[in-house]
Amino acid sequence: MKRPLQALLLVVSALGLLHATVFTDLYLRYVKEGMRPLLIASGALLLVLGAAEAWSLRKPTAPDRDRGHDHDDEHPGHGHGHDHSAPPRIAWLLLLPALSLLFYAPPAIGAYSASREAPKAVEVKDQDAFDPLPATSPLPMTLTDFTTRVQQDRTKAIAGREVLMTGFATPDGSGDGWYLTRSIFSCCAADTQFVKVRAHGTPAPPADTWVTVTGTWHADGTLGTGSADVALDVRTIKKVPRPTNGYTDALLPGAG
Amino acid sequence: MQKTDEPAEGAAVRAPHAEAADAHAPASAAGPEDAAEHSWPRHWPLLLLGAAVVPGAVLFLVGRGLEEPAVQAWRTVCLSIAVQALPFLLLGTALSGAINAFVPARVFNRLLPRNPALAVPVAGAAGVVLPGCECASVPVANSLIRRGVDPAAAFAFLLSAPAVNPIVLVATAVAFPGSPEMVLARLLASLLTAASMGWLWLWLGRAEWLKPAPRHTGHHGGRSRWTEFRLGFQHDFLHAGGFLVVGAMAAATFNVVVPRSVLDTFADSPWLSVLFLAGLAILLSVCSEADAFVAASLSGFSPLARLTFMVVGPMVDLKLIALQTGTFGRAFALRFSAATVVVAILASALVGGVLL
Repeated sequence: MKRPLQALLLVVSALGLLHATVFTDLYLRYVKEGMRPLLIASGALLLVLGAAEAWSLRKPTAPDRDRGHDHDDEHPGHGHGHDHSAPPRIAWLLLLPALSLLFYAPPAIGAYSASREAPKAVEVKDQDAFDPLPATSPLPMTLTDFTTRVQQDRTKAIAGREVLMTGFATPDGSGDGWYLTRSIFSCCAADTQFVKVRAHGTPAPPADTWVTVTGTWHADGTLGTGSADVALDVRTIKKVPRPTNGYTDALLPGAG
Repeated sequence: MQKTDEPAEGAAVRAPHAEAADAHAPASAAGPEDAAEHSWPRHWPLLLLGAAVVPGAVLFLVGRGLEEPAVQAWRTVCLSIAVQALPFLLLGTALSGAINAFVPARVFNRLLPRNPALAVPVAGAAGVVLPGCECASVPVANSLIRRGVDPAAAFAFLLSAPAVNPIVLVATAVAFPGSPEMVLARLLASLLTAASMGWLWLWLGRAEWLKPAPRHTGHHGGRSRWTEFRLGFQHDFLHAGGFLVVGAMAAATFNVVVPRSVLDTFADSPWLSVLFLAGLAILLSVCSEADAFVAASLSGFSPLARLTFMVVGPMVDLKLIALQTGTFGRAFALRFSAATVVVAILASALVGGVLL
């Protein structure tokens, strides 16, 4: 690989990273918010490396220009003394993620994966940890909270309560209903897991549409035990924009 | 585009795609270069333009196909693995470049016991100091070997660093609340595997399996140490980065093709589930800081099987095999990974059987 191309590759990678972090929020589709400083630092470092490489090529007398032979590229990685300058051509693959970030960023993980995965197992909660529910109605809840209340809270505080939840729609091929879904990951989008609440009573919105729904527990099974169906009889449904960080199961700010 | 641009442009596109098919494909990359003293290719502005424009155009043309949700999911997973690992890869390659350029070989001789059999566990325990993903440890281990550290000790470090560092242990404790024995079992089983593999290398390992790559031989006269550092860093990053993308692609393919819900069918048989989760750890290629959460979510499996998942994962996975192939050569990567899987499963079974 020619050295100007190495400089180019470094700079394009840097631009991809910086584009996804500094100028846009694209990185939130793939990794956690906490990665932002690391990614910006990586982008800056790559930019400096690329610039340094380009700069060193401008000076014909630079001491590191020790490549006398032109055939380096024919033998990548096969003992040519100390030639730092010939990484194998596989390095070109770095262009794919970089250009992808720059020009054609894929969307966040959504309904396609959610429809193929079982819902995330919800942590078993201590009975004492169930505080009385606030009196507001409709009551804003996360999908995880709803699942826990339905399947574990023996006081059945959720019975008859109208709740308000937000998530994206995952169609269910098998028949009636669809899934209100939130995706959660702990490291990057590759380990995404899904929390799902089955929704009854409205036609399914198109896949990946973000909606806020209100409704009550869809009575099926014994409330407060594992047999209870994690499902909702939807009363109202409203389209909402995708939250910036869709990979959490949190209440929407402002949505109350 | 004018007609005259086409050859150079075509060449610029062929290069990355040829890579995907075969890393050893003959060169069609940069076109003939004149033997002039400056190394800028004659057509480089065109190459630049081609590199910027043509992949976009190709993507646009096959855009309909790329809108398929499965392809989108594949691209998302692939990109997220690459983006997540990149800072750690940079950290590792910077560290390895710095070790090459700034740390004299005698430092390692002083720190490590002279006897390789003793150096192995010491190096394994030293893995605690590198708080990063497994991507960082491959280049660092490589630079240790190049600075004269016994390969056996370097491999013990390579295996233990991603598995026993404080970040990973804390993540494990968070993922398994109320079971500190899981953290302890992970620490012990990982150290045991790392040390065993080091000793195994002393016993059976052959130097010729390692790719001869004496590229970095420390500081030379005539170059500044900073230039040495920069070039080593750059070379290692570009090299390992390409293999990281290969690994991410492989992991994404598995991730999209096999839904996780299929896995639960294996949860019933105790021995099968251990082997199965070991295989899953290799295929999923989750980074070591996150694998505890994935393991915790595999709730249908026994604690022993989940421990195996967490011991094997940071030591062998698709992304690591790709990185090791690039760094140490294929002959090494295949033998070493296969042996590591076996040793890691045995170590997990042993430690897990006692502790869990």
